[in-house]
Amino acid sequence: MSAATDHSAPQIQPYRTGLRPEILGLIIFLVSEAALFGAFFMYYTNLRVLKGIPWPGDFDIPADSTSINTLILVLSSFTCEFALLSLDRRKNGAVFGWLLLTFLLGATFLGLQVHEYMIVGFTPADQSTGAIFFTLTGLHGTHVFIGLVLLLLGMIRALAGRWSPERHSGLLAISIYWHFVDIVWVILFTVVYCLPSS
Amino acid sequence: MTAVLKPTLARCLWVAPAFAALAILITVAARSLVGMTPVLQESTLLTVAYIAGGIGFIVGIGGFDYWFTWMRGGELDPNDHSQHGAHSWGDYFKFNTDHKVIGIQYIVFTFIMFLVGGMFAEIFRSELANPGQQVVTNQQYNGLISQHGVIMIFVFMVPVFAGIGNYVIPLMIGAADMAFPRLNAVSFWLLPVAAFTLLSSFMFGSFDGGWTGYPTLSEQSGYGMTLYQLGVQLAGASSIATAVNFLVTIIAMRAPGMTLFRMPLLVWANLATSALVVAATPFIAGAQFMAMFDREMGTHFFTVAGNGDTLVYQHIFWFYSHPAVYIMILPGFGIISEVIATHARKPVFGYRAVAFSSAGIAILGFAVWAHHMFASGMEPWLRVPIMLSTLLIAIPTGIKIFSWLGTMWGGVLRMTTANLFAIGFIFTFVIGGLSGVMLAVVPFDVSITNSYFIVAHFHYVLFGGSIMTIYAGFYHWFPKVTGRMYNEVLGRWHFWITFVAMNLTFFPMHYQGLEGMPRRVADYAPQFAWSNMLISIAAFILGASTLIFVYNMIHSARHGKKAGANPWGGLTLEWMLSSPPPIFNFPATPRVIGGPYRYGEEGAKHAIVPEVEPATVETTV
Repeated sequence: MSAATDHSAPQIQPYRTGLRPEILGLIIFLVSEAALFGAFFMYYTNLRVLKGIPWPGDFDIPADSTSINTLILVLSSFTCEFALLSLDRRKNGAVFGWLLLTFLLGATFLGLQVHEYMIVGFTPADQSTGAIFFTLTGLHGTHVFIGLVLLLLGMIRALAGRWSPERHSGLLAISIYWHFVDIVWVILFTVVYCLPSS
Repeated sequence: MTAVLKPTLARCLWVAPAFAALAILITVAARSLVGMTPVLQESTLLTVAYIAGGIGFIVGIGGFDYWFTWMRGGELDPNDHSQHGAHSWGDYFKFNTDHKVIGIQYIVFTFIMFLVGGMFAEIFRSELANPGQQVVTNQQYNGLISQHGVIMIFVFMVPVFAGIGNYVIPLMIGAADMAFPRLNAVSFWLLPVAAFTLLSSFMFGSFDGGWTGYPTLSEQSGYGMTLYQLGVQLAGASSIATAVNFLVTIIAMRAPGMTLFRMPLLVWANLATSALVVAATPFIAGAQFMAMFDREMGTHFFTVAGNGDTLVYQHIFWFYSHPAVYIMILPGFGIISEVIATHARKPVFGYRAVAFSSAGIAILGFAVWAHHMFASGMEPWLRVPIMLSTLLIAIPTGIKIFSWLGTMWGGVLRMTTANLFAIGFIFTFVIGGLSGVMLAVVPFDVSITNSYFIVAHFHYVLFGGSIMTIYAGFYHWFPKVTGRMYNEVLGRWHFWITFVAMNLTFFPMHYQGLEGMPRRVADYAPQFAWSNMLISIAAFILGASTLIFVYNMIHSARHGKKAGANPWGGLTLEWMLSSPPPIFNFPATPRVIGGPYRYGEEGAKHAIVPEVEPATVETTV
C-alpha cells in the first residue's frame, strides 16, 4: 500500500436511514433477544399450554401481587421516557433525576421478584415446570439487571454532563432497551401468570 | 515486554486466566456461603472458569477498551483510527477494526478450522476403511464425528462467509467500513474462544452426541458435553453480532444511487442470511442453555423423571438448525452469482428473481424444521404439512439454478478456476438438492432415516454446495485481496482433483444408505466393506487436494504475477479500487448510476468514484 493511495481519513457520507445506525443496530439486536425469549416461550407453551402440566405442588401462581410489580415496571418506562424528554443544553440534572427514579423503580421490581422467588415454595430443580418458571422469569430478571446497569451508566454520563440534544444516542439506546424489557415482562406476565393452562 | 500490558494476544495469556481464577474464587466463596456441597464441584468451577476466561480473552485483546472509556464517562474520539488498517503483518494478530483485516482474520482462522475438522474426518475414515475396529474405540469415534460436525458448522462454515462478506461487502456498496467496526472485531475474536472451548473438550473426553446433542444422552455424557453447549453459544453470539453489523451496514451505508435493486446479488444474499441469523440463532442458544442447566444445575427440562420433554429439545434445536443450513448456503449463492456474471461477462439472468428467491428461502426456511424429525415420534399430523413446505422450498432454489444457467447461456465463458468451481458447484449442488427432495417425502425419509443416505445428502449440499462456492469466492477475490494472480494451472489441478474425489467420496454413500448402513457407527456389516474402503481412499485424496490449494494461495500471495485493479473486468465497485484497496477504501463517496451487471452495454457504468468529495460534506454523528 503506497502512500499515494493510502487515504488517511474516511470519506464521510450521509446515512441512508432516518434512524441513527446505532439505534437501528440496537433494534435488530433486540429482535434477536426476543427470539431468545421465544425459545423459552416455545418450551413453556409445549409444557403448560399443550400438555397442561401443573406447577410443582399445585402451586397457585400469584397473579394479583405480581400485577403490582408489572405496574411498577410500566411506570418506570414512563419515567425513562421523561428522562429523554427533559434533555436540554444547560445541564443533565433533570436527566439524572428521571434516570434515578427509573433505576429505583426497576430495582424495586427486581427486589419484589426475588422475594417472590423465595416464597413460591419450589426450586428450579423441582420438575420441568420449576425449571421453566425460574429460567423464563430469571432470563427476564437478568435483562432487568443489565438494564439497571445501563441506567447507572447513563446516570454517570449525566453527572459528567455528556448528554445533549445533539449527542444522546446512548441515552436513546438505554431507553429503548428499557422499554423492550418492559414489553417482554408484560407478555411474560400475561402468558405465565394470567393465562390458565389447558 | 510491554506487550503483556498493551492490548495484544500476549496480554490475553495472563488476563484470561486471571478472569477464570477470579470466577473460580467467587464461585467457591458463594458455594460455601450458601452451603452447597461439594464446594469444589469440578464441573461447576470449570464452567465458570471457561465463561470468565472467554470474557477475559476479549478484555485482554482490547475488545472492550473503547466501551470501558464510555462507561466511566470518559471523553471519546470517534476519529481515533489507531486500531484501524493493516500496516504490518502483526496487525492481523491484534484487535483491528478494519473490515479488510477482519475479513482476512476470519478467512484464515476458519480455513485452519476447516483443516482441523477435515483431519478428524480422515482419522475416522481410516477407522471406517475396514470392518472391525482398528484405529479408535467407540467412544473416541463418537467424539471425533461429533467434533467434526461441530467444528465444520460453527467455526468454519457459518463464519467463513462472514469473512468473505466482511471483506467484500463494504467495498461493493461503496462504504469506508462496516457500520460497527469495533463490534466487528469482537465478533471475530469470539471465534478463537469458541474453537478453544470446543476443541479443549478432548481433555475431558470430548462429547459424543453428534453435532446435535440430543438429551437424554447429553445429560449423561462426560464434562466435554458442557463445553460443546458453551462453545455453540459462543459461536452463536459471534454470528449474531456479525449479522447485526451486516444488516445495519447494508441498510444504512449504501452509496448514493445504490437502490436495493442496484445492489450486487452477494449483498442481497448476505441481507437475507443476516436476517435469518438474527431471528434463528437464539433458538439454539436457548436449547443449549436448557440442556446445560439440566447438566450443571440439576434442572429437569429434558428428564423423564422430572416431567420433562426430550422431544421439545429437538423442536427448539431444529427451529434454528434448519435455517442454519440456509445460513450456510445463501451467501454461497451470492458468490456464485458474482462469479458467473463476471467470468461469463453477462448480466445475471433474472436478477429480481434471484433477489426475491433469497428472501423467499429465508422466510420459508422457518417453516420446514420438523423434516429433521419425521421419525422422532412427534405428533403425526405435523408430517404432511412439513413435507409440503419442504417440497415448496426447492422452488426458489431451483429458480436460482435456472438463473445461473441462463446467465451462462450465450456468454463467452472464461474457464478460470473460479468459474470452474462455480460450474462444478451447480452440478454437485443439484445432486444434493435432488436427494433433498427425495428426503422431503415422508415415507422415503422414514425408511432411510439415520442412514448414510442422509450423510450423502448433506455432504453434497455442504461440500458440493457451500465449499465449492467458498473456493470459487477465494479464487475470484484473491487478486483483489493480495494484488497478485494465483497460479491458474495449480488452480485447475485443485479443482479437478477436488471435484472427482468429492464425488467418489460421497456418491457411494447414497447406495450405502439405501442398503441399510446406519450413520454414526464405528463398525458395520461386512457387505459394506468395499464401499467404505473406496470412500476412505477418496476421502484421503480429497484431503490431499486441499494442500494444492494452500500452497497456491501462500506462494501466489508472495510471488504471483501482479494483478492490477481489475483482472477479471468486473463491473462491481470493488474492482474500481486498487488491489489491495487503500485502508479507507474510497477517496470520496462513489455515486452509483446503474445496475451492477451491465456487461455488453456500450459505455455502461455501475458507479463513478470521484477523487474528491464533490459537494458540501454532511457530518455524521
